[in-house]
Amino acid sequence: MYEYPQIYDVIVIGGGHAGCEAALASAKTGAKTLLLTQSLDTIAQMSCNPSIGGIAKGQIVREIDALGGAMGRITDSAAVHYHMLNTGKGPAVHSPRVQCDKKAYQFNFKHTLELQPNLDVMQDEAAQIAVSDGAVSGVVTLRHTFYRAKTVVLTAGTFLAGTIHIGEEVFPGGRYNDMPSNELSKSLKALGLHIIRFKTGTPMRINARGVDFDKFRLQPSDDPFQPMSHFTDYAAQSKRKFLCCYITRTTEETDKILRENLNRSAMYSGKIHALGPRYCPSVEDKTKKFPDVKSHPLFLEPEGTNTEEFYIQGFSTSMPEEVQRALLKSVPGLENASITRPGYAIEYDFSDPMDLYPSLESKIVPGLFCAGQVNGTTGYEEAGGQGFVAGVNAARKTRGQEPFVLRRDEAYIGVLIDDLVTKGVNEPYRMFTSRAEYRILLRNDNADLRLCPHGFALGTLDPQYKPAFEKYRAEVERLKADPSYSVDETGLYPWTAEKVRFHVDVYQKYAGYYERNKKDAEKLAQAENIVIPEGFDPSAVKGILIESSQKLKTVRPRTLGQAARIPGVTPADIQLLAIHIERYRRLQHARKNG
Amino acid sequence: MPSTIVAPATAPGQSAVALIRLSGPESLSVLRKVTRTDKIFAPREQVFCRLYDGEKVLDEALVTYFPAPRSFTGEDVVEFAVHGSPYIRGRLLEVLCACGAEPARRGEFSYRAFLNGKMDLLEAQGLCDLISAGNKAAHDLALSSLDGRLSEKLNAVKNALSEMLAELEARLDDVDEEMPPLNTAAAEQELLPQAGALARLADTFSVGRLIKEGLKAAIVGAPNCGKSSLLNALVGFDRAIVSEQSGTTRDTVEETLDLDGQKVILTDTAGIREHALDPAEREGMKRSLRAIEKADLVLFVADLTRELTPQEEALWDDVQKQDKPVILVLNKTDEAPRGRCALEGKTQYTAYVSCKNGEGLDGLKKQILAFVSAPQAQGEDGVMISNLRQYEAVLNAQTETESAAARLAAGAGLELCAEHLRGALGALKDLAGETTPDDILGIIFSKFCMGK
Repeated sequence: MYEYPQIYDVIVIGGGHAGCEAALASAKTGAKTLLLTQSLDTIAQMSCNPSIGGIAKGQIVREIDALGGAMGRITDSAAVHYHMLNTGKGPAVHSPRVQCDKKAYQFNFKHTLELQPNLDVMQDEAAQIAVSDGAVSGVVTLRHTFYRAKTVVLTAGTFLAGTIHIGEEVFPGGRYNDMPSNELSKSLKALGLHIIRFKTGTPMRINARGVDFDKFRLQPSDDPFQPMSHFTDYAAQSKRKFLCCYITRTTEETDKILRENLNRSAMYSGKIHALGPRYCPSVEDKTKKFPDVKSHPLFLEPEGTNTEEFYIQGFSTSMPEEVQRALLKSVPGLENASITRPGYAIEYDFSDPMDLYPSLESKIVPGLFCAGQVNGTTGYEEAGGQGFVAGVNAARKTRGQEPFVLRRDEAYIGVLIDDLVTKGVNEPYRMFTSRAEYRILLRNDNADLRLCPHGFALGTLDPQYKPAFEKYRAEVERLKADPSYSVDETGLYPWTAEKVRFHVDVYQKYAGYYERNKKDAEKLAQAENIVIPEGFDPSAVKGILIESSQKLKTVRPRTLGQAARIPGVTPADIQLLAIHIERYRRLQHARKNG
Repeated sequence: MPSTIVAPATAPGQSAVALIRLSGPESLSVLRKVTRTDKIFAPREQVFCRLYDGEKVLDEALVTYFPAPRSFTGEDVVEFAVHGSPYIRGRLLEVLCACGAEPARRGEFSYRAFLNGKMDLLEAQGLCDLISAGNKAAHDLALSSLDGRLSEKLNAVKNALSEMLAELEARLDDVDEEMPPLNTAAAEQELLPQAGALARLADTFSVGRLIKEGLKAAIVGAPNCGKSSLLNALVGFDRAIVSEQSGTTRDTVEETLDLDGQKVILTDTAGIREHALDPAEREGMKRSLRAIEKADLVLFVADLTRELTPQEEALWDDVQKQDKPVILVLNKTDEAPRGRCALEGKTQYTAYVSCKNGEGLDGLKKQILAFVSAPQAQGEDGVMISNLRQYEAVLNAQTETESAAARLAAGAGLELCAEHLRGALGALKDLAGETTPDDILGIIFSKFCMGK
């Protein structure tokens, strides 16, 4: 075994959307960081659709961006189509979505990682997480190199013991053409992590040569559009070449083919047992569950500028290849298209997120942080958000700093992580705006006001933006106080007077609801401030219900607020906890002074 | 910021003075609202104030303001010493809640006192016992079927509101615009009955209705057993016509009484006889039966000097069928000894009185008042709300549901209507269980074919 001479603060395993953000965030805070990936050529690969954002997900990307993460900026650097979703509805549910040239996206991300000081990138596959004295000590790779580190961030995606299904065909894979990480999955089980299995799927890609685009409804890129990143220059960005997306529907013929071949789908032939996401069903799922719905929408997304390949959203399937061909030909306009990559279903291991603290550090293996699909989520955006938090916290731990935890009223990322660690998952977790009780506060138009201050404080957001941000914040307050105030644009860039006015408009529209949400949020913040001390066992408190005690034992909440959110824990339980925490605190104090 | 809580600090029941305590950061602002003044209250000094219920004066009280941290809880505290009638006490609690306070949970004052360092560890043990007893009792109650009909009602409302919220949320998430737009008129029509159901439940809360409208007590019994005499004895003057010839009271006679501050509406009913002779008497008897139906409490009067007639026994059975609380009032203790009436011992509440010399009337008054303090009021089907916290929760849910309907009707954004529906479901959380986002997503994915 070769022991690598450098000792790292943080090693990130995996170069997907979680791993990339984790590595960048860690390095930006000054930690010596290593990113280990199976293949440098698949860094930040968009394994499923070629777009970033969507309902609630777009808000997460804006949040990552405001914190100083890379996803928003790289999205803009690869953008081929902008669309703000839900503009017919209230601004709290406006969600940006951007189609990207998927190759440009991954190359730009790789280049960003290469330029980042404090960050090394190495192509090697992690096989084992090394532990000594009950805490993480490094990573051993497939080629028997031992990298020492103080903390490790695991972002293995769908690669842990991944199995791919296409109809009756079954073979190992972390993604089509990429080997799964079977050794690593074994290592995690040996460490005592609770490993569970999920499944997800992806639709076929087609060559659009010969496609009759006249048969589809056109969705052009928004004009004007909103860049994904707060820091992108609009004028320069608007000179880019944009592509179109297309909308169509499946037909009665599609329905008939699906129905006749239902038992040949890997989903229904009994080959797949793991649970899949309800909101991301395969097209055969839709037919089975909603037999009365005879036609489903399809959305054709270009995979990039230098390719004829299209991704067909709505056609996710694990049918045999020949059935997939028939399905394609049943859609008017696609008769002459050909499949370039068939759709498939994938089963994979993930680690129960209830084993994590809100910092995303494992309760079982100190020093091990987990982020992304390995925690049972789906989506690039959900992965990126967790990656950022895990990267920051892994780095902070090496410096003995308190973990960085976002509250539910501060960010969708806060909602996401709190849900994962407090309630666990029973299907791949996707963000929805309905999961946020403070939806009116968590908007795409105020992500900067909510989170840039955190970004500056953490050291992840470039301090050069600080004066402009402070100016923006001041201008917003002045316009709120005096509607006739004329916004001063000097020193405001990259923010604009128009942005100030737009934000204040939205604020006024929601005024009464804003205050309502804020008031609730203050109560939340208060409960979050009561930290359950180390060494205090909440499940042992006398008088709480037996059911609550068991749940407290599993979740091991860090704050009284988190304890209160565990389903089934009663307000009286929380009162008793508060009294005993105070009692414990007083006894500790007396002991110290006596 | 913690909430501002309110609760009586003296035991329920009759007393000359009742102490109501308010604690939390809004205490002073609540005090100013209820006294309709913005004067400065000097710390720890008793001040004589008028307390207002809307436009009218509710009571005159001695009020003391204890600013934090030198108070019982360590927070801003206001104490109201008011007249000890159940009406004033109950109504003041409601008025203070309307001014921004919320009803305290069991042990919450002591809880806050402990957290603010106003109580030592030993005292805290008693507090823990109190809270855990409540925890278990509330939990057992939720599990038992005691409260079954109430939770069934609340669950029906909760389910209807969840379904509606799912309709809204599904449309907020529907990027493909696959779903038909929400029929707001129909949605409003679905919400209003839920608001109505909540309103009816809120109305069953006795400290709401009994206190505002008065306790309705129907006096029933055989002809000439002394019903009208009882009414007169309680009221103190000859309001109803009394005569030796049976069947004099042909109409129902209503009289409003102030029993130690509690409004009681007594209804004297016609004697119920099997073979009423003249039509006026028959009409009177019909009204009597209706009076029993409307009553919160029945005073069943019997004559101790004679045996029960078969008619009286039949009437007793009829009254029992109505499922109303009954006080058996045995009249004429001045003429006959106890123990002769066949009904004695058959019922929980019995009063021995003499309308002639006034003996036992005080005891009867106390028994009547006990029904106000220990709420027995019931809705049309026996379902009722039994404490102020439940009442506040149901009332909040009702307001939020009405707001959601109003926002829908006004064409407001679905996300705003959803805010109100979430508010309503949140208010019902402690009574009917939590509605989680996952519950709503579950409804969406089972009802609608959605997803990419």
